[in-house]
Amino acid sequence: MSERPVLLLCAYQEATRIGDVLDAVAQAAPGYERLVVDDGSSDATADVARRHGAHVVRHPFNLGYGAALQTGYKYARAVGAPWLVQMDADGQHDPSGIASLAEPIERGELDLVVGSRFLFAGPGDAYAMGPVRTLGRRVFSGVSSAFGLSLTDPTSGFQALGPHALALYVGDFFPCDFPDVDVLLVAHRHGLRVGERPVHMWQSRRPSTLHSGWAPIYYVYKMSLSTWAASRTVSGGREGSR
Amino acid sequence: MTDAERLEDLRRLFLEAPETGATRLLAVVGALVLAGGILWLVRRRTLREEYTPIWLAVAAGVLLLGLDRSLLYGLTRALGAWSPSSTVFFLGLVFLVAICLNYAVRLSVLTLETKNLAQEVALLRDALECRVARDAVPAADPEPR
Repeated sequence: MSERPVLLLCAYQEATRIGDVLDAVAQAAPGYERLVVDDGSSDATADVARRHGAHVVRHPFNLGYGAALQTGYKYARAVGAPWLVQMDADGQHDPSGIASLAEPIERGELDLVVGSRFLFAGPGDAYAMGPVRTLGRRVFSGVSSAFGLSLTDPTSGFQALGPHALALYVGDFFPCDFPDVDVLLVAHRHGLRVGERPVHMWQSRRPSTLHSGWAPIYYVYKMSLSTWAASRTVSGGREGSR
Repeated sequence: MTDAERLEDLRRLFLEAPETGATRLLAVVGALVLAGGILWLVRRRTLREEYTPIWLAVAAGVLLLGLDRSLLYGLTRALGAWSPSSTVFFLGLVFLVAICLNYAVRLSVLTLETKNLAQEVALLRDALECRVARDAVPAADPEPR
């Protein structure tokens, strides 16, 4: 059993960038086991990650971002990690935020901490979103508020999860594609303590496939449907997720 | 004569129109070909036995409707359709929608199971690689005597 927390990076075709991200993470959070879940990349992502000191778990084929995250949760539970911090493998998330995300979990104050780029007031570039994404963020913030979960950045992938959140998120409800406000609502409905902390994020350095073509329309449709399903989830105590 | 009465007369004409033997023959041959095809697929191990009852039931239904004229006409009257062929198309569409929905549900279950299996494979392979690497260390670097 491991006493070390896990720092999870889900990567797909990130051979050119994963090395720099891992080095930055090693400097900012030396006490973490750096885990890379390679979601079936055909490039050298896994080799590069290993060379930079990460533990690598490879999917036999591409399963999707959500499934890669869940593999990381399953790994963390299997090795007995006390908590897990997840961040994007493309270098968008500033590793200096890892400590502030993990702190409420270490102290036992929260079960799940979401890093909010919109609460950040420190030095660095302010995060700018296009009008469509801003509208989407506001809509889903409003929806989560309607269910009693107040979040300024419900689409943030920079999160820290304690043991109760990990136990809940390895369930079959967890989506394969893009888990966002829907899974946060499930956590909230199960009585987990969900909160936010400010983190710094840089603008993504490459266009995301999620923000091009028909993908944003499908995203809004899918997220609305799964958020509705999450809102129907029978609420329960944290004991239920153990 | 009112419009409603005229329409009812017209519908009766449709229903009482003489039926050609070719239609019934087509239904009977189609049903037999469908049943034969299903059995052939099972024999080749291309179709699993548990998926056959629904298709054999369809073949039996088509055969019954082809042989028993009164059944199809009774159904047509009950559904308010104008012609037996409309009834056949309607029932066929209902069946296709139902079976597509059923397959979508089965596909969702299979997707979940495949995802869980792939994750399990990834984690087991990782555990195996760690174990092999651990076991290889003493052999490569034996302790000094």
